[in-house]
Amino acid sequence: MVDFGRVQKELQECNKDINVSGISVNPKSDNLTSLIGTIPGPIGTPYEGGTFKIDIDLPDGYPFEPPRMKFATKVWHPNISSQSGAICLDILKDQWSPALTLKVALLSIQALLSAPQPNDPQDAVVAQQYLKDYQTFASTAHYWTESFAKTSSLGIEEKVQKLVEMGFPEGLVRSTLEVVDGDENLALEKLCSG
Amino acid sequence: MEAMESMERRDAIDCVPGYGEKRRDGGDGGDGGRRLKLAVDWKSPAVDRRVKEFSAMGYDSMTNVSIPTAASKAKEIGKKKRVNRTAKLKQSKLDVRREQWLSQVKNKGCKEEINGANGVKMHSPDVHERNDDRPLMKLEINPVGEETEGITNHYSDSDSPSNSPISHTSSVFGSNRSRSPFTSSSSSSSGGCCSGSMAEEDDGDNGCLDDWEAIADALAADDLKNDNHESPEPPQLNSLPPPEPEPVNVTMVGQDGCCARAWRPDDIFRPQSLPNLLKQNSFPMNSNQLYGFGAIEFGFKKVTSPPSTCPICCEDLDLTDTSFLPCPCGYRLCLFCHKRILEDDGRCPGCRKEYDHHGQGNASLKLGRSCSMIPRH
Repeated sequence: MVDFGRVQKELQECNKDINVSGISVNPKSDNLTSLIGTIPGPIGTPYEGGTFKIDIDLPDGYPFEPPRMKFATKVWHPNISSQSGAICLDILKDQWSPALTLKVALLSIQALLSAPQPNDPQDAVVAQQYLKDYQTFASTAHYWTESFAKTSSLGIEEKVQKLVEMGFPEGLVRSTLEVVDGDENLALEKLCSG
Repeated sequence: MEAMESMERRDAIDCVPGYGEKRRDGGDGGDGGRRLKLAVDWKSPAVDRRVKEFSAMGYDSMTNVSIPTAASKAKEIGKKKRVNRTAKLKQSKLDVRREQWLSQVKNKGCKEEINGANGVKMHSPDVHERNDDRPLMKLEINPVGEETEGITNHYSDSDSPSNSPISHTSSVFGSNRSRSPFTSSSSSSSGGCCSGSMAEEDDGDNGCLDDWEAIADALAADDLKNDNHESPEPPQLNSLPPPEPEPVNVTMVGQDGCCARAWRPDDIFRPQSLPNLLKQNSFPMNSNQLYGFGAIEFGFKKVTSPPSTCPICCEDLDLTDTSFLPCPCGYRLCLFCHKRILEDDGRCPGCRKEYDHHGQGNASLKLGRSCSMIPRH
């Protein structure tokens, strides 16, 4: 059973200084076991300017067991799966401590974005690129940030309007956007491919 | 000017004793006898002794001068008493108060020459003692006191320019009487420690000096009351002795200014039951102003005090939890969370080291070793 009293308190504490940290945690549903956290991309990195969403699932043993976290936003990072968004971070696994909080975990993920650990990779392809061709890695990461970490600022109607202006029929644009879960770039890819 | 003053005095002389007589005759008869006896008691052999001492001190030629002296002394003492009283009210200990009064008298007796102030000190507790029939008491004192003034006038002051202090006294006296309602509510807590000394003074016809003391008593009592009403700020803050910085210690200074002594911790005459002021006043000092040691202590306490809630489950820590220190790293948590962690991976949340490697586990390990060592030796 999740300690909801503590989770409530954590949410309050975290959202109190949201203007300073930029980190927020909000419940996805009413039962407080599935949450969504957002962290801003660290300044001075390819992730700058993006807002990254992180799915948080609280296990029954929380806070004695670590929260399950994965990126909901696609990220190009050696320690984050470019496919699933899984995060390779010790405090989310064996180094978790009940003294840590969701906010601390999210801060650690933000620190991981600014300090990749390619020698302990989650995504081997990204790690190889990071080690062998940092410039390509940096530009790819920046592109992914621009593509995926900023789309959330646009509403669904704006995306539809943008794609319709490109010459696609509105009905098809809407259905395609629904399929790709509102991802503007994926929808464009699908529309172009046919 | 002089004529007016003397007239004033004559008026006082004429009317006040009559007033006193009326009061004595009428009113509640039960107390009347007692009061009458008291009025006689003021005139005592001790007074004769004091008169002699006064003359030895050179007061014989200008006896009336001692009236303003006594009055101002009384005022001074009144202030001191008031300051004293504020501290005492804080302490709220009747016994301590009584003991202090007694030892004050004792202290003065051995330390100082006997003068008017001594008498005031001697009698003031008695004035405080009858807080119920206090206005009556005053009424009784007043006529005697003004009679005294009249006497002194007739003796020496009719042609001397130094009678203005007397008129001042009488005017103060009048104002005292007008303010007498204040006195009725005063000093319900004083103990009657000096009633015995009153009883000793059986008879005697020369009550002048003692009457001044009575006046001084009344003045002191009234000053005490009025000052309490008017100015809450102790007037003698500047004369604080260096080792006692708290403002509450003004009480000590008040006595200090009077008899050049204060209740120091090493004072011989300090009552044993008097609480340690420094210790006792540490609380109000902390609550009122945080500076110096208090602030440091307070901050330090705040920093080092254990958390009020468990950092794991956010529940309040009870007494057992706050005294529970499972890990040498100092990380505190409630017993429930500790048990839960022991069931799981058994590592301290603060330092991630296993609980078994130190704390209770360590102790049991040591015990086991020492036990196993015993047979070998």
